[in-house]
Amino acid sequence: MPDAAERLVNLALLLSSTRKHVTAEQCRAAGLGYPAGQDGVSFLRMFERDKDALRAAGLVIEVALDPGTGTEAYRLDAEATYARPVDLTAEELSALRAVAAAFADDAAFPFREDLMLALGKLGAAGHQGPVATTAAAGSDVAQRMPEVQALAEAVRLRKSVTFDYANARGGQRRRSVDPYGLFLREGRWYLAGLDTGIAEVRTFAIDRLNDLDVNPRRPRTPDFERPQGFDIRQQERLPFQYGPTVTPARIRFEPGSAWRAASLSRGHGRIDELPDGSRMWTVDFSDLEVLASWLLAEGPGLHAVDPPELIATLAVRLKEVIAAHG
Amino acid sequence: MARGLDASMRARRLVALLPLLRRGDRVALSDLATAVGCTAEEVAADLTTLTMCGVPPFTPFDLVDLYIDGAHVTVHADPPGLDQPLKLTAPEARALAAALEMAGYAPNAPLRAKLAAVTTAAASAEELERTIRTGTAPGGAAETYAALAAAAEAHEKLRIAYRTGSTGRVSERVVHPWAIVQRLGVWYLVAMCEAAGQERVFRMDRIRAFERTGDLFETPSEVPTAVVPDPGGLDVAEILFAPGTRLPDDRAWPGVRIEVLPDGSARAWMPYRATAWVARRVIAHLGEATVIGPGEVRRAVRELAETTLQQVQ
Repeated sequence: MPDAAERLVNLALLLSSTRKHVTAEQCRAAGLGYPAGQDGVSFLRMFERDKDALRAAGLVIEVALDPGTGTEAYRLDAEATYARPVDLTAEELSALRAVAAAFADDAAFPFREDLMLALGKLGAAGHQGPVATTAAAGSDVAQRMPEVQALAEAVRLRKSVTFDYANARGGQRRRSVDPYGLFLREGRWYLAGLDTGIAEVRTFAIDRLNDLDVNPRRPRTPDFERPQGFDIRQQERLPFQYGPTVTPARIRFEPGSAWRAASLSRGHGRIDELPDGSRMWTVDFSDLEVLASWLLAEGPGLHAVDPPELIATLAVRLKEVIAAHG
Repeated sequence: MARGLDASMRARRLVALLPLLRRGDRVALSDLATAVGCTAEEVAADLTTLTMCGVPPFTPFDLVDLYIDGAHVTVHADPPGLDQPLKLTAPEARALAAALEMAGYAPNAPLRAKLAAVTTAAASAEELERTIRTGTAPGGAAETYAALAAAAEAHEKLRIAYRTGSTGRVSERVVHPWAIVQRLGVWYLVAMCEAAGQERVFRMDRIRAFERTGDLFETPSEVPTAVVPDPGGLDVAEILFAPGTRLPDDRAWPGVRIEVLPDGSARAWMPYRATAWVARRVIAHLGEATVIGPGEVRRAVRELAETTLQQVQ
């Protein structure tokens, strides 16, 4: 008996080459590799799974009613399935091959298989790129990739999830969450979603959640609507933006460091160019000490302008540093 | 055999191979393997499976018709169906978006728009942009990334303007781009620096400007890909952290070794190449970290704190 992959390819070839729509029964009788003597219910279940597998590969299957039997009949929707040739520049192909090589063996990249399949379709999956990746993320990060993948699917299909979540103080409780989006920062993945227990949008570090369950019921029907204006970019905050209060700060980038403003701000706040070539960044903060520390770590070339408490904190703390190293 | 792949994943790779098989072609297995991202052995097994696939009534003329000899495959007839590449599925588009964004390609980058055009209608680029974010910087370093990748592939020397993190100085140098390496979301260029006469690691987001020179270089047979300095042979700074301080981890202080003491304070040993680098990390702890030794690091911390204090006031 042919193996399952062979049967799937046979079904795909039939659906793509047939001019007339074919019914499940016609597929069964065509010798594609469905087990002989299989009862009708098991066959239909297998046939549904096969169609899902082909859809997952990218085949768009057109459904029509067979005029003779009144049952569903199928054919490939060629227009929706086949890609037009994509015109990539030499640099774009280099970049794609570099990306492929960087992530192909990176255990901490959650979408490796899909990435390789995508690059295969573009003919750019080459392993022989000049690029390598370090596995320095450690096995603890890599172990979390199945959760990241499951949550990414739950975000896409809008399925609710539950998990145990440990807070920073070590307490743990089960949460029910409508997952809205994911972001990655410094090698760590975060989930943003509606914690339905408290009816608030919260951010969760994925490496701190356990026993993840995605609602298995009605997998093709979304469980919730994502709020219309939701944008993951607004959930990802800067390290000093966590806390109950929000105060604006102004940071000046010297002319020689002005180019760094765009990347350090990560899209938060407002950047104004000043006549002398420096940039003024107005940004909200919640934690004064973390902001002071961040400014020192990212220097030189950045200066606190406002509020006065920020400047006072920096002065006091720097004097402490000087005293301790006298 | 393609162990570890379930039937549906394997079928996806088989389907990806079909459009690459054109009547009359003789193709190296290794080229097919490169295109679909697996080994030549896996491709040979896949092709063998494909020769058993076809359309009803499965006469020899209805099957995928090819012949494998050694490291090549000869294709006798076009496949009976699926002879064009398929559009990208929603999960494939997500994987590409995540990877490209990590390489600095913002959602509005032209490359991402081109890829969106070959993605299934069921996947919305706008929805992806609103639900998944992997980039470190808006606007992105895509241009730098693409230029470095292309130069590394072509073995072409680059002139770069680089900002040294600890001092903020920008210097120009000619480098031989050997490899691009990603660690914890940060990209690095491992290159031979002509001025230094040895290998150097550059953070990609600190490469201020770059220019291709047209001059070629020879890549050494072994390219090092470690971006964290090997602690062996480096000086080590000893640092005391006050009780209750949030301690640095390996992400922020690569190579650090930490011992927590009974009173809650902690002692850390940090390998370093430049004192300015340790000093900046120490002052960012706002007085809760004190360098015990050596003297050159203590002095560097004091001097940096004094200069910074003058600027603050």
